[in-house]
Amino acid sequence: MNITKNIIISQKILLVHKVRTVLSLSGIIIGICAVMIMVSIGKGTEAKIISQITKMGSNVLVVNAGQVKIIAGRARQTKSVTTLEPRDALSIIANSSNINYAVPAQNKKLQVKYGNLNTTTNIVGTTADILKVRNYALSKGKFFDADEDKGSRRVAVLGQTVVENIFGQENPVGEMIRIGRVPFEVIGVLAPKGLDMNGADQDDQIVIPLKTALRRLFNLTYINAIYVQATDITSMGRAESETRTVLREAHHIRTGKPDDFTVQNQVSVLEAQRESSRTFTLLISAIAAVSLLVGGIGIMAIMLISIKERIKEIGIRRAVGAKKSDILIQFLAESLLLSIGGGIIGIILGITIAVIIAIFANWPFSLSLNVVAISFLSTIIMGILFGVYPAQKAAQLDIVKALQFE
Amino acid sequence: MIELKNITKSFQNGTIKTDVLKDVTFGVQRGEFVAIMGSSGNGKTTLMNILGCMLKMSGGSYALDGVDIETLDDDQLSDLRNKKIGFVFQSFNLLDGTSALDNVLLPLVYAEEYPDDARERATQLLESVGLGDRIHYKPGELSGGQHQRVAIARALVNDPAIILADEPTGNLDSESVREIMDILKRLHKQGKTIILITHDINIARYAGRTVFLRDGKIYNEEVSK
Repeated sequence: MNITKNIIISQKILLVHKVRTVLSLSGIIIGICAVMIMVSIGKGTEAKIISQITKMGSNVLVVNAGQVKIIAGRARQTKSVTTLEPRDALSIIANSSNINYAVPAQNKKLQVKYGNLNTTTNIVGTTADILKVRNYALSKGKFFDADEDKGSRRVAVLGQTVVENIFGQENPVGEMIRIGRVPFEVIGVLAPKGLDMNGADQDDQIVIPLKTALRRLFNLTYINAIYVQATDITSMGRAESETRTVLREAHHIRTGKPDDFTVQNQVSVLEAQRESSRTFTLLISAIAAVSLLVGGIGIMAIMLISIKERIKEIGIRRAVGAKKSDILIQFLAESLLLSIGGGIIGIILGITIAVIIAIFANWPFSLSLNVVAISFLSTIIMGILFGVYPAQKAAQLDIVKALQFE
Repeated sequence: MIELKNITKSFQNGTIKTDVLKDVTFGVQRGEFVAIMGSSGNGKTTLMNILGCMLKMSGGSYALDGVDIETLDDDQLSDLRNKKIGFVFQSFNLLDGTSALDNVLLPLVYAEEYPDDARERATQLLESVGLGDRIHYKPGELSGGQHQRVAIARALVNDPAIILADEPTGNLDSESVREIMDILKRLHKQGKTIILITHDINIARYAGRTVFLRDGKIYNEEVSK
C-alpha cells in the first residue's frame, strides 16, 4: 500500500468534519497545554526564589531569638524571647573557624517623620558589617561605621521606599528626620532590593547603628536576630553547628533542653523550595496523566464514531483490494494524526500562555525541551494506544455487510 | 476463466437456515459477456459476492484463472480483487467528499506498486467515459449516470481481466442506462470479460449469453444472436 497517498486521503476526510475533529481533540489540547503552563510556572518561581536567595546572600545563616514557626508561609516568632544579646554575636565569631561575620540586629516598626510627612516603617538596628553579610549597596551617601555605632550616633540609612514616602524627589542625605520622637541625620540611601521571597518590601526599612537603636530608641538590651556569614557555601553545615554549640553554651542550655533560638539556613530553605516544587511537579504529572487519558478516550470515541459513519467506505476500500492491515494502518494513521495535531496545538497554546504569564509575573520564561519532547511523545503513544481498538474493529468488518450498510 | 462447480451458500440467522444458492454450476470464457438474470431474492447478489471473492461459499468449488479460491487467505483474496476484478455496483459506491480523480485512483493505492503515471492513467480513463472536464468534481456534484461512469473508470484503473457489474443501471434514468451499457459493450469489444447481473431482460440482451437464476439454481441458459 502507498501509505503517504493513503494519509493524504485520510486527512481530507478528517477535514470534512473540522468542528467535530477539533472538539474531540480538546482533551489532548487542554492536557498538553496545562503541562506546558504548569512546568513553566514551576521553573519561573524556582528561578525567582533562587535569585532572591542569592540577593540575600547564599552563605548566610539567620539566627532568630526563640522558636520560629512557619505560619501561613512566613517565619513568625512564637513568643518574645530576651535571651539573645549583642555579645552572643561576638562569641560566635570568637569560637568558630567557619564563620566570617556574625551581625546582631534588632528591629521594630516605628513612625518616621520628615517635615509634615510621616510613614511607619521597619527600623533595623545593626552593625556596619551588615553591608557585607546582606549584600547591601548604597545608592547615595555613605553607611555608618563602627565608630558611629560605638558612639551611639543618631545617624540613619534609608531604604528606597521610605525615601519615596517622605522625601519624594528630594535628596534626603544631610536632612534630619524623627524616628519615634528621636531626631536622626540621614547619611545614606540603600540601593533598591525589591521583594523578599515572602513578598515583603525589602526597601521599606531604615538601618541605624545597633547601640543607638537599643539605648535611644527601643530601650532594650536584647536582640532578635544574628546574621551569620559562613566562609563559603560548602561550610554552611559546620557553621550552623558551631553557631548552635556556641549559643547553647552561652545561654547555659542543658543537654536535652530545646534551643531558645532558631537557626535558618538559606540552603535548606532553597532545598525546601526544591522539595515543594518536586511535589508540585508530581501533582502536574498526575493532572497531565488524567487529562491525557481523557484526551485519549476522546480520540477513541471520535474514531469509533468516525468508523461507524464510514462503514461503507471501509467496504468500498476492501472491495477494491485493501487488506485488513491496510484498513488497520489507515485508521491508526488517522488517530495518530489526530493526537499529534492535538499535541502540537496544545504545545503551541501552552507555550504562548506560559510566555504571557512569565511577562506578567516578571520571571524568566523557561521550559525544558525534555518536557516538550515527553509531551509530544505521550500524544503519539496516546494516538496508537487509543487508536488500535477502533482500527482493529474497522479492519475486521465483513466486506459484504459493510458495502450494503446504509 | 471462471469455473463454478456445485456452488452452495446458506445463511444462518439464529436457528433458521436459509439456502440461498443450491448447486450452481457454470463457466465463463475469457472475453465473454455474460448476463446473470433473475428476479430479486433469487441469490443473484450472493452469487456476485462469491464471484467477487468477497464472500465465502458454503460448498462447491470456484476456480478463477485456474486458481482454487478456497486455497487463498484473506490478504491473497484482497490482492486478487485488486488485480483481476473491477467492480461496478448498483449504488455506485464512490467515496463522498473525494474527487472523481481520487476515487479512480483508490484501487492503485492498494496495488503492489503505486505507478508513476497513476494520475495520467486515471485522467485518461475519466476522459474515455466522457468526464475529462469533471475530474475534480466530487460525487455530490455529479449526476447518477456520471457517478456510474466514475465507478467504471475506477473498475478499469488496474486493468483487470473481469468486470463484475451488479445491477449497474438499477438506479439510472433511461438516457444514462444507454450510456453505461454502451460503455460496457465497448469494453467487451476491447477484450474484457464482463459479468453483468440484472433483473431486466432488456439489459441482459446486451450480453452474448444469459444465465437464468431462480430459487438458487440455474434453470436456463440462452445465447443471443
